Amino acid sequence: MAETTTLATAHAAGRDANTVAGAASSRSPNNETQPTPAGRASPKPPLSQIYVLPAPIRTFPLPTFYPNNPISLLHLVYAWLCQVFRPPPCEPSVVHVGVWDAETRSVHVRDPTSIRALWEQGFYGKGSLSRSEPNWLKRELARRGSPEGKTVSEARTELRREERRLAKWERAKTELEAIERQRLAEAAARATAAEPNEANGVLDKPVGGSGSLPFLNGAGSSVTEPTLTDATAETAQESSPITETSRLLKLQGSAARCAEGFKAPVGPAELLALPNSLAKPRAKAISSGCLSEPKPPVGPAELLLLPNSPADLALRLVKTSSMRESGERAMGQSTLQAAPEVNGHTADKAAKGKLKTNGVVNDKGHPIKASALAGNQKVGKLSSEGTQPDGVTNGAVSPRSIPSPNGSATEANGLQALKRRKSVRFSPTVESTTFLHSDPPSPNRSANASSKGAVPASSNGQPVKKPVVSSTVSPVVRSASESASGVSLDSPSTPTELENKEHFQLAPEEAFFLVFSLGALRVVDPVTGSPIPTERLLSLFRSYSYFPPRSLGSGLGADDPFLVNYAVYHRFRSLGWVPRHGIKFGVDWILYQRGPVFDHSEFGIMVLPSYSHPAWEEHKHEEPKRSWSWLMGVNRVLSHVLKSLVLVYVDIPPPTVFAEEMQRGGIAAALKKYTIREVIVRRFSVNRNR
Amino acid sequence: MSLDDDDIPSLTSHPHSSSITSPSQAPASASSLPPEAAADDLTTEDLMEEEGAASQDFRAFAASLQSQSKSSPQQHRQFRKTAGVSAQTIRKGEKDFESHGLRAQEDALEQSRAAMRDVLSYTRVHPVGPKGAALVRGWYFPAWWEGYSEELQLEEKKEGGGKDGEGRERERKPYGHIRERVVVLEGSSPASHSLGRAVTGQAKDRPARGKDWLLPEEALYLVERGSLDLWWPLKGIEEIFPPEGMTAGKEKEGEEEMEEEDEYEMGFPLSLQAAYALLIGNDGERGKISLQKFQVYSNLKRCGYNVLRAPPVPKQPPPPPTTTPITTTLWQWFTSLLTTSPQQPPYGPLVQPGLYRSYASIYRQMALLPRHKPSTTSTPSTATQQTTTTTTTTTSEPFTIHFHIWKAAQKWTKLRHPPPDFHLAVVDAQQSAVPSLSEISALLAATPLAPGKPEWAGPGRLYARLKHGHRNVLVAVVDHGVINYMRFAEAAFGLEELYARFDAPRGGGGKKGGGGRNGNGNGGRGGRGGRGRGRR
Repeated sequence: MAETTTLATAHAAGRDANTVAGAASSRSPNNETQPTPAGRASPKPPLSQIYVLPAPIRTFPLPTFYPNNPISLLHLVYAWLCQVFRPPPCEPSVVHVGVWDAETRSVHVRDPTSIRALWEQGFYGKGSLSRSEPNWLKRELARRGSPEGKTVSEARTELRREERRLAKWERAKTELEAIERQRLAEAAARATAAEPNEANGVLDKPVGGSGSLPFLNGAGSSVTEPTLTDATAETAQESSPITETSRLLKLQGSAARCAEGFKAPVGPAELLALPNSLAKPRAKAISSGCLSEPKPPVGPAELLLLPNSPADLALRLVKTSSMRESGERAMGQSTLQAAPEVNGHTADKAAKGKLKTNGVVNDKGHPIKASALAGNQKVGKLSSEGTQPDGVTNGAVSPRSIPSPNGSATEANGLQALKRRKSVRFSPTVESTTFLHSDPPSPNRSANASSKGAVPASSNGQPVKKPVVSSTVSPVVRSASESASGVSLDSPSTPTELENKEHFQLAPEEAFFLVFSLGALRVVDPVTGSPIPTERLLSLFRSYSYFPPRSLGSGLGADDPFLVNYAVYHRFRSLGWVPRHGIKFGVDWILYQRGPVFDHSEFGIMVLPSYSHPAWEEHKHEEPKRSWSWLMGVNRVLSHVLKSLVLVYVDIPPPTVFAEEMQRGGIAAALKKYTIREVIVRRFSVNRNR
Repeated sequence: MSLDDDDIPSLTSHPHSSSITSPSQAPASASSLPPEAAADDLTTEDLMEEEGAASQDFRAFAASLQSQSKSSPQQHRQFRKTAGVSAQTIRKGEKDFESHGLRAQEDALEQSRAAMRDVLSYTRVHPVGPKGAALVRGWYFPAWWEGYSEELQLEEKKEGGGKDGEGRERERKPYGHIRERVVVLEGSSPASHSLGRAVTGQAKDRPARGKDWLLPEEALYLVERGSLDLWWPLKGIEEIFPPEGMTAGKEKEGEEEMEEEDEYEMGFPLSLQAAYALLIGNDGERGKISLQKFQVYSNLKRCGYNVLRAPPVPKQPPPPPTTTPITTTLWQWFTSLLTTSPQQPPYGPLVQPGLYRSYASIYRQMALLPRHKPSTTSTPSTATQQTTTTTTTTTSEPFTIHFHIWKAAQKWTKLRHPPPDFHLAVVDAQQSAVPSLSEISALLAATPLAPGKPEWAGPGRLYARLKHGHRNVLVAVVDHGVINYMRFAEAAFGLEELYARFDAPRGGGGKKGGGGRNGNGNGGRGGRGGRGRGRR
C-alpha cells in the first residue's frame, strides 16, 4: 500500500504546465488522450434517453388532444389510424434468450443487444466481470488507451476514491504539520532552556522564521536558502535563480533534512506509525550527532538546482561526482545516504535533459510513461545512458526511488538493508494513489524496487562507491528491457481486436420475473438448447434455491427460499421499484426508485419468512429467530450508507393451501396467497427527539 | 472536594475553547477540510452522536458549571441545571486518538483529568429543608391497595376504557394503575406534577386520604435522583397517616410530638439497595417492576421525557373478527372482480402480448400479491385486515405497549395531557428476538394511526412518507442495562404506485407537455412526478 500512495505535497501546483509535469498519473491513458476525443466524440445522449423504458415493453400512447387546438385532433386521428392499419408488433416484441447455468445458479445472456436491452430497460442482471452494468469491454478499452472508457462507473468510482484519499491525506498532513510545529516549538523551548549553545541551525530556523515546517511548500524557500549558503556556496548561488525544478528539489532537500533531523517525512502510513516512534528517533539522532551536523547532506541535494540545459550537463556531472566524493569525505558515517541521493537527482536530470534534446515531452517523474510514449527512442536512450558511470543508475528510475528517508531510517535503526520500513515520500508528481486490479504490473515499479534494494546497501556504513557500482548494471538493464517489453506489450493491442469476455447474468428471481411476468425472456437448456417451459423453470429455481439442490419432486414447499424471495421481488417490481440484490450492503435486496444510474437506493430489504397461519403448526418448518444484535448490525451498516432498513415479512400460506392453489391456478394463483408486510426500522435517538 | 473557584485555578485559565485537542490543530484541520470530507465527517458525527456522549470533556463541563456558579455565588455548590450546560457545550473539538508526545497534549489531558476528578469528587448533598422541600419522605406500604382491584375493578376498567376516547372524556382521569402503587408520599415533591397519583373517591375516614401514591418505578427514580427518602414503616398506615377524623391541627401537633420523641418510632429509612430490592422484581409481580423497564423509565425521565405507564389493553371480546372478515372478503371479492377479471395464465406471461398505451395497464396486470393497506381506524382488531385469518390481534407479553411517552412540554401534567407522542415496548435483548409478523403487527395495531404530514403528498416526498409509516411504535431493547431504542413503522409500499409515473415523461418528452394524456384525475401528479425524476 505504501508504494501506491506516493503523493506530492504540491499536487495542486504540479498541475500547471511546467516541466515538472505532475499531471500525468499512472492511469495516463485517461489523461493523455484527453485532448484527442474532444473533437470527434459526439455528445452522449442523456441518461434519461438511454434508460427511457422502465420495462422491456414499449408503449404506444396516443398523442394528446387539446380542445382548443384542432390540429391535435388530426394528429390523434392520424396516429390512431397508423396504429390500426399498420399495427406495431405485439409487445414484448423482443424475447431475449438466456441460458440456465446450474453451476452459478444464474441465467446467462450472451447476445450483446439483449444485454444492453435488459440492462437499459429495467436494470436487470449484472455483468459477470463488472460491478453491475456490463462494461468490462469499455473498461478494457480505456485501460488500453481508447478514449471510450472514461465514463465507466467503476472508473469514476476510482477517481472519486482517489480524490477522497488525497483530501484525507492532505488533511492528515496538515494535522501532522501542526503537531510538528508544536513539537518544534517545544523542542526549541527545551533546547534554549537547557543548553543554549547546542542549538543549531535546523532547529532554530523554522521556529524563529516563518514558524512553519521545513518541508512545507510555502516555507520552503525561506528555509532552504540559508542552508544552501552553508553547504555549498558556489553551486547554490548558481542555482538560486533557477525555478524550473526548484520546487521538487526543495522538497526533497528539505525532506532529506527533515529525515536527518527528526524523522521520516510523511505519508499516510508514516502518519500512523509516527507518534509511537517519536522519542526514539530523536534520541538516536542526537546521539549520532545528526543534529549538530545537519548541513552536509542538504548541500548536495541543493546542488541539483542546476540549470537544465544540455550544455551544462557534462560539467554538472563532473561537478556532482566530485561533490559527492568531497561530501563523502566530509560527512563521514552519519550522512552516507546523501551521496546516492545526489546521484539520483543528477542522473535524473541528465536523463531528462537528453530526452528533451530529442524533442520528447516527458515528465521526469515517470520514465515508464516516457517509455510508453517515446517507445524505442527512449529505450535506446536509457540503455545508452546506462553505460555511463554511477549517475545513470538511478536516473532510469523516478525520483521516488531515492531513498532519503529510508536511508536515514535504516541508518538510525541500524537494521539490515533489506528490512527497510515502508515509507512514503513527497513526490513532485501525483502518480496515483490507487491502482485498478487490471493494471499491469509496472516495469517502472520493479525497476524501482531493484534500485531501492541497491541503494540502502550504500547507507549501511559501507563505502558508497562500491554498491553503486555493483548495482549500476542490473537496474538499468532491467528497466530498459522492461520498458521495452512494456512497449512491445502495448503496441500490438489495438481496440478493434478486443473480444468481449464478459457475459451477463440474471439472478433466478430476475429471470423468472422476465419469463413469468413480462414474457420478455426465454430460458433455454444449456445442453439441448431447447427452451425450458415456465413450470419446469419454476421447479428448477426452487430446487436450486437450496444447497445442495433438492430433487424436483420432494422437498419443495411453499417456503422455498426462491418462492419467498420471488414474492418480494415480484411485489416491488410490480409496483415500479427496481429491486437488486443487496448482498453488498448486507441485506437481501436494495430498492432503487428509478435505477442505479439515476439515484442511490434508499431502502435495504431484509426478507423474513413468517409462518403465522395456524395450519403451519402441523407442518415442519423453521421459524427464523433473528437476534436483536443481528437487527442492530444490519441497521448499523445500512445507516452508514444512508439507507433505511425495511423488514419485509412474507407470510407463507400453509402447504395445503399452497398445493391447492398450485393445482388450480398455477404459480399465479399461488402467489396471491403470500401476504407481505413492510416494517421500516430505524434507530430512535432519545437525545434528538426531545 | 467541591467545585470552588479557587480550587481549580487551571480551569479559569483555560476557558471553553480548551478541549483535548491541541489548540493549534483544530483550526488548521478545519480549514484544510475539503467539502466532501467535511460532509462525511458531519454524517459520521451524526451517526455517532449518542456514542460521542461518552467522550465528554470534563474541563468544558466544569468550566461551564463554574461560570454559572460565579454568577450566583450563593448556589455555586450545587450543580444547577440551567440552559448553559448541555451536551452541546460539553462535547466540543476533535478527539486525539494517540499520544503525539507533545507537552501541550499531555497538559490538556491532565487538566481534563483533573477537572473530571473534581466533578466526580463533588459531594452530593440532599437538601433537607422544611417540610415539602426538595427531599420528601415516602413510606413503603406494599399491601395497601392490594384489595383495590376487587372492589373497584369495574370502575377502573371503565376509566381505562374511557381513556381511549381521548377527546370525548377529557375530564376523566387517565388510568391510574392504583393496584400497583406501593409508596405513599408525606408531602408533595417538586416532581409531583408528573409523578404519583392521589386516589380519589375514598371514604372520609380512610387513612392517608388525598396523599400521592407512587408506582415502584416512580419511587425508585425519585430515590435515585435524591429527592425521595424511602422509609420502612414500623406502625400501620393508620398511625402514620391518621384519617381525616382528626382535625388537621391536631394531626400536625401529634406528628411533631412524635418526631420530637423518637425520630425512628414510626419506621426507619431505607438504603438505595433496599429500595431496589423492594421495588425491582419480575414482570407481573404486583407492586414491582422489572429491571429493564425501570432502566428504560429512568433513562427516559432523565432525558426529559414525560413517561406514564400505559393502561392495560382492554380485553375486547371477539365480535369484530366476526364482522370484519366478512366485509373484507366481500371487499376483496369485489375488487378482484374489478381488477383481475381476466384470469391470469397459470404459468404464462402475466402481461398479455399486445399493444399497450400506457405502463399503468401493463403493471396492473402484474399485480398479484395482495397489498397491505393500513386501516384507518385505530381499534386494534381491524388493523390487520389482510391477515385477519392468520394473525392474532392481541399483543403477547414482550411486545406490548408498556409506556406512553410525551416530549417535554410546559403544559403537560400527569392528569391532563394530550395523546402520547410515542408508544414504547420494552424487551430484553437476550430473552427475546426480532418480533415475528404476528407480534409486530399486533404491536403496531395497538398504536393509533399516525400518518405523515399532509404536505408530504406527492412524489417529491415519497421517501419521507414511506419512512414515517402509518403507525409506529418504539421498542426499547435492553441488553444488560444498555438501551437501544428502535422505531418500527408500518410502511405501505403498496400505496405508492411508482409505475404511475412511467407514463408521464414520455408524454412530457415532447413540447406539448405531459399530463394531458393520462389526464384522468391524476394527471397533475404524474406530471410532477416526471419533473421530479428528471431533476434527480
